[in-house]
Amino acid sequence: MKFTTITKWEMKETLKSRKFLTIFFLQISVLFLMIFIFNAFATNIESEKGISITPSLSGFASLDVDDQGRLFTKYINPELITVTSSNYPDSIINLNAGQTTAVVVVPGDSIEKIKTIETINVQLYLDMSDPKRSVVRDEVNTTSKLMADALSNSWVESFTPQNTTPTVVNQQSTGESLAMQIVTKAMIAILLFLPLFLFGNMIIDSVVGEKERKTGEILMAMPIKPAQIVLGKSMAVVGVIAIQVALWMIILLITGFEILNPLIVYFLVFITAIPVIGITVIISAYAKNYKEAGIGLTFGYVAIVGVIMIPTLTYLSNKSLTSNISPLTMVIRLFSGENIPYWQFLIPVIFIGILSIITYWIAVKLFERDDVMFGPRPSILRLTREILGWKKKNKKTKL
Amino acid sequence: MADDNLMIKMDSLNKSFGKIMALNNLNLDINRGELLGIIGPNGAGKTTAIRISCCILKPDSGDVLVDGMSIHKDQIKIKSMIGYLPEEPNLYERFKARDLLRYFAELYGVPRDNINRRIDDLLELVGMSHRAEDRINTFSKGLRQRIGISRALIHDPEILIFDEPTMGLDPATSHNIREFIRELKGDKTIILCTHYMDEADSLCDRVAILNQGRILDMGTPQELKSKLHSDIILNLELEIADSSAGKIIESFSTVEEVNVSGSKYTISLKSKKDIKEIISSLEGNIVSINIKEPTLEDVFINSFKN
Repeated sequence: MKFTTITKWEMKETLKSRKFLTIFFLQISVLFLMIFIFNAFATNIESEKGISITPSLSGFASLDVDDQGRLFTKYINPELITVTSSNYPDSIINLNAGQTTAVVVVPGDSIEKIKTIETINVQLYLDMSDPKRSVVRDEVNTTSKLMADALSNSWVESFTPQNTTPTVVNQQSTGESLAMQIVTKAMIAILLFLPLFLFGNMIIDSVVGEKERKTGEILMAMPIKPAQIVLGKSMAVVGVIAIQVALWMIILLITGFEILNPLIVYFLVFITAIPVIGITVIISAYAKNYKEAGIGLTFGYVAIVGVIMIPTLTYLSNKSLTSNISPLTMVIRLFSGENIPYWQFLIPVIFIGILSIITYWIAVKLFERDDVMFGPRPSILRLTREILGWKKKNKKTKL
Repeated sequence: MADDNLMIKMDSLNKSFGKIMALNNLNLDINRGELLGIIGPNGAGKTTAIRISCCILKPDSGDVLVDGMSIHKDQIKIKSMIGYLPEEPNLYERFKARDLLRYFAELYGVPRDNINRRIDDLLELVGMSHRAEDRINTFSKGLRQRIGISRALIHDPEILIFDEPTMGLDPATSHNIREFIRELKGDKTIILCTHYMDEADSLCDRVAILNQGRILDMGTPQELKSKLHSDIILNLELEIADSSAGKIIESFSTVEEVNVSGSKYTISLKSKKDIKEIISSLEGNIVSINIKEPTLEDVFINSFKN
């Protein structure tokens, strides 16, 4: 297990480095800054205008409403929920087909009941498998309250006809709205995944640095397999990421953010670091110098962010089991307090496992090649062909 | 039948880098306890040959057997047997000298109980005990080379491979390193790649002359020198250089070859026997006399001429 020797010394020397420690603590201070900015943002959008969510959330969820009197419909926030007037049977069909997140049924005789000061029972049907249901439920609750406040104000006005001041309806927030909670959860989840992309320079220094400083020659002369070198160097960075993620979680908890299921969340973020570092090692192993590695890493990380984010966005807009391949989806679901079946955790874990095996296999193959390590470097096409064992087809010559 | 005395056998090694052929069917045998020098011009394939022997590079074809083990099968075992000092010591700059040696000792699998003692011994051996706690980036090239030698010896290897160990060092440090290699001679099998002919001449049991990935010549320094046309070279500068002077010189039986360049005569002699007579016969015409025995450098230059 000589890779542990490499990991131990890499970590030891890294943690002793002033340059690294400066960057490490700078990252933590950036986290504090982000928390401060986010709190300011949250305060602003929870202002007297009521919930004013960003435009990107418009049409976030859909709601079918059976409300013949249109009493309820006019109070629904159109910036957040797309309201479709429908009838009960059609709405239920839509709900079962997954075409709407929820259905609200307002009794047809609601106007008469208001006139006779009777209670109106509004029924809400939710698609329990859709994570957006909590947003809709909260919105319906808020609307019901707004409607009740408006009605009671109009009653009060009718008893005092001298008062000509128009009624102003304000949302009286008690705590955070659920729409805000969704934004908060997404932000915390993304923040926890952020450290995964902050230590690429460590791997570049560790791998490309061996080439540039020509220390790689001595390392390759050591009685250790290339796989152990790759593993040793990678685990040192994964270890540093693990420390940083843990610190960020602690800071977020201390500053009042709620993180449900912190251990599972930590585990998911931690295992995601493994293939991310694997890809970084591949880029660094192939790169000739720091500059090339830096450019490669930028493109690589954009691709990784895409792989993590796209399934999550897909899940929020259109729940699908395959969206769970992204650990971010799972983390946001955990934050929502969803009761997730155990087997669903296997989806991201297996995906990450397969990705880790593939990335480390490629990285080891690159380390085993002296032309990649010492030059002249082969083209990516030739390298791919040779690593995968594809033989170049010989052109047939006519006799 | 395997030769027990044979430590390293390079067998039909071929290696190309793109269109450049670095090794061209290289065959080389190195005996146990021998100090073999490899000399050759830049790009001759010296470093490639030793990097393949250290399992750093893979040959396109051919094999290297180290103590009977193939570099294609027993890389880890072979690497454990070799202490390699590259041309540039290329050490981890941030490490302290002691930490660096400890790191490599752990990678080589030196028993933990022995590591401290081994490090102390080696630092003392290379005269670096007083700098043990200093960082590598504070060391001069000579000091780095000393630490590099300690690093190559940390696991007490049976084979040492030095690639240009005295390159770019001041004369005093070069002398120290040569003396150090001389001390190791006999105890360990050593391959020494060098540009310095006097270094190879004074240290090596045998010398291989390498060019364009092939061995041009090989033998003990004395054997190689004796392969030249003569044992002695007499350089004369004459006042009057005419054909009669040349005829006089060529009339002696020990004279093998005479090269004339203006008034300067380079005379190759089989022995010292006729030197006195040659000088006497040209008395009054001689401006300067210089007698020299052939050096490895002459052998080297002669090999390339041929």
